[in-house]
Amino acid sequence: MPLWFARGLRRGVVTTRYPARPDESAAWLPTPPAFRSRQLTRDVADRMVAVCPATALRRRDDTLIFDVGACTACGRCAETAPDAVAPSGEFELAATARSALIKEIPIRGGGR
Amino acid sequence: MNPGRDEAEAARRLRDTISTQFGRSLHIRTLDTGSCAVCEQEIRLLTAPHYDLHRLGFFFTPAPRHADLLLVTGPMIRAFDVAARKTYEAMPGPKVVVATGACALGGVYPKDPFVHGNAGEVLPVDVWIPGCPPSPLALLHGLGVAVGRRSWSPGRR
Amino acid sequence: MTPTHLPIPASLSRAAATSEQLVERLNALGGLEVRDGGATRGTVTVRTLGETLEAATHVVAGAPGARLADMFAGGSGPTGSGVSPGDRVSPRASRAADNGGDAPTLRLVWALESGYLLTETEIHGDRYPALSDIAPAAFVEECEIYEQFGIRPATGKPLNRLMLPPHAGPDFPRMGHRPARPPEEVHAPHTVGGQAFEFPFGPVRQVGVESLYYGLVTSGEEVVDVYLFTWHKHRGLEWRLRGTTPREGLFFAERAEGLSAVAVGWAVAAAAEAALGSTPPPAAARTRAVALELERLYNHAAAMAALCQATGLTVGQSAAEIALERLLRVNAASFGHRYLFGVIEPGGASRAPDAEVLRRDLPAAYGELRRAADALLSTNSFVDRLEACGILTAEQARRLGLVGPVARASGMATDSRLNAGGPPDGNPYAGHLVTAVTADGGDALARFQVMLGEAAESVRLIGEFLDAGTEAKSAPLPPGGGRGLGWAESSRGEVLAWVALDQDGRITRARLRPGSVRNWRGFDDACRSQNVFTDIPIIEASFWLTAAGLAR
Repeated sequence: MPLWFARGLRRGVVTTRYPARPDESAAWLPTPPAFRSRQLTRDVADRMVAVCPATALRRRDDTLIFDVGACTACGRCAETAPDAVAPSGEFELAATARSALIKEIPIRGGGR
Repeated sequence: MNPGRDEAEAARRLRDTISTQFGRSLHIRTLDTGSCAVCEQEIRLLTAPHYDLHRLGFFFTPAPRHADLLLVTGPMIRAFDVAARKTYEAMPGPKVVVATGACALGGVYPKDPFVHGNAGEVLPVDVWIPGCPPSPLALLHGLGVAVGRRSWSPGRR
Repeated sequence: MTPTHLPIPASLSRAAATSEQLVERLNALGGLEVRDGGATRGTVTVRTLGETLEAATHVVAGAPGARLADMFAGGSGPTGSGVSPGDRVSPRASRAADNGGDAPTLRLVWALESGYLLTETEIHGDRYPALSDIAPAAFVEECEIYEQFGIRPATGKPLNRLMLPPHAGPDFPRMGHRPARPPEEVHAPHTVGGQAFEFPFGPVRQVGVESLYYGLVTSGEEVVDVYLFTWHKHRGLEWRLRGTTPREGLFFAERAEGLSAVAVGWAVAAAAEAALGSTPPPAAARTRAVALELERLYNHAAAMAALCQATGLTVGQSAAEIALERLLRVNAASFGHRYLFGVIEPGGASRAPDAEVLRRDLPAAYGELRRAADALLSTNSFVDRLEACGILTAEQARRLGLVGPVARASGMATDSRLNAGGPPDGNPYAGHLVTAVTADGGDALARFQVMLGEAAESVRLIGEFLDAGTEAKSAPLPPGGGRGLGWAESSRGEVLAWVALDQDGRITRARLRPGSVRNWRGFDDACRSQNVFTDIPIIEASFWLTAAGLAR
């Protein structure tokens, strides 16, 4: 027992201060994508929709519908269209309404 | 069962109630409806030294009778329905249901003969936490949203 | 079909040289056809007739060093009326049959000292020889095959319900024809003097663990029998994979057993590569191996934390959890995901590790693990609880076809990373890993010691792979179809995957066999004999399996 006690005291506290303070380990977490409206065309959107394994993406006319709740942050959409997609960096995503997790992104890319 | 406007309002009032009545002590029961086991590993780490759930007044309890919050993972496999309902009904009110992970939010498995596809098909979900898996930090954020703490001020990147 | 003796093709010479003798003996039985044609590289496939299957099985089972690694059936017939497979599964899947005929094909996968041998037999009618009498390891698979394809061993012995839930009617999706009668569900008779009390446990158990439903038979405190039910976590993944491309399928394969995402993903990708005759670039193979070793490390740390929790050593648990969290952060910082999802892709690896970060952060994280383990091994109250707990003898491990640290702790030196089979340059471990870590005793302490030994090896291997160079590269998969076997050594043991691809490169049958499928069978045996209730969590932690991997 003294062995464990001494070890613990020596190491010190590792506990995060989150949520009172930000936690730097969050910088390495995978996060859902953020889409750049101006880089989206219908064609780019359709390619991303086809490649998403979690059906988090759909296109309705000139709107890309993104379900953050369904997203697994796998990165395949970013791989398909690197100019149109960047990691959002957001991990605090919890919502009280499921509909709040569905985002609509206008498709404004040149030539649609 | 799908949460509609009435339920969202009731959930808000519920959270206010919990915040005042239960002060800083909330007991959590986990429910695995068919996950791949990774969400559970992240949940287990909530009581690990790096995250230490207890400092925030949250505790795990194996007994649904003592639980205030049900933390649900997995796509709600149909063969699990009875166990899911029994666990939920064994919890006395007021209670909060938190669905966590892309499976429970309907992202990974479509509705088919094996699974419902999302936790909301069987349980009245109050809070939805995205992620695959949601990291312990995301879970802490989600739990905070679930109890509606006004003092909750997560840092933003 | 007229029996023919075909010469073994030259393309097989590397694999055949090691199993040549066996194939010769199988040939001598007559009615055989050795099939390869480059389609199942590194694995010898032997087609037998229904009449010669039993004799062939005797021949292989009796060979020294042969182990039955898996048994499964191939698709035939419709999926079951009135079922829509879901948006993402191609409508073609509902009509797909990988042998083009109506009769299911029974496949046995045998692991030899340096390669795999696959026997294929078309089964006409609903009976096949009772293979589990020859290889007891096959019982779980016999139950699974009956549920999905409606064929059963000829002896008519009772089979248990396994994956399909009790309410599964005739229209419930299956990969083949539904059985004529539901399984009888009979468990081993309880032979104990006096009374035995039987009760179900779960599926909702302690907080933070997976749902697991088992039947516990006890007389007093002693555990007489434990039998698992698995249908409450059955997501139908093999059914779901039909009609997908290997890339699409990998998304689900990783989530079959998320704690073995790299291993299962690697096995499936390797199966597709074997089917199409593709080899990942060596640097990408090393990337896969780095990810696999990182996965092994964090799983062993998690097992250590679970052992401490099971023995009530909270301080030790915290120390192990600190090590675990640090290892997961190393994964996130180097590969972009705490659980290494999305690293494997068919043809290679989609992400390379940040070598600088890995070299900088891994030693400290492993140091935490090592120091906690050393302190635990000096803590008598911990060691005493693990000694002689959940013993599996070498004979039991061999008979049940166990894999991984569980098998190695009982003295079996099986480690699929040492398997020389597969395409040349296909095994990144060649030259880096020479022996498996084994122990004697077969108790929980031996399993813990094997895990620690493997963790040390993993750190060394990662360093060597980084030195040799890792890249995110993939060789594109050639068009066309084929069938292939892939494998990887997860932290729980050998993962096998087999795929059949049609001419469009879409999966018509995928077989996933994570290590958990083999080893849960050993859990029953380990819990019996001299163990009491409070030993069950310790034994479960020392096995460190998942219900998800078993039920898929």
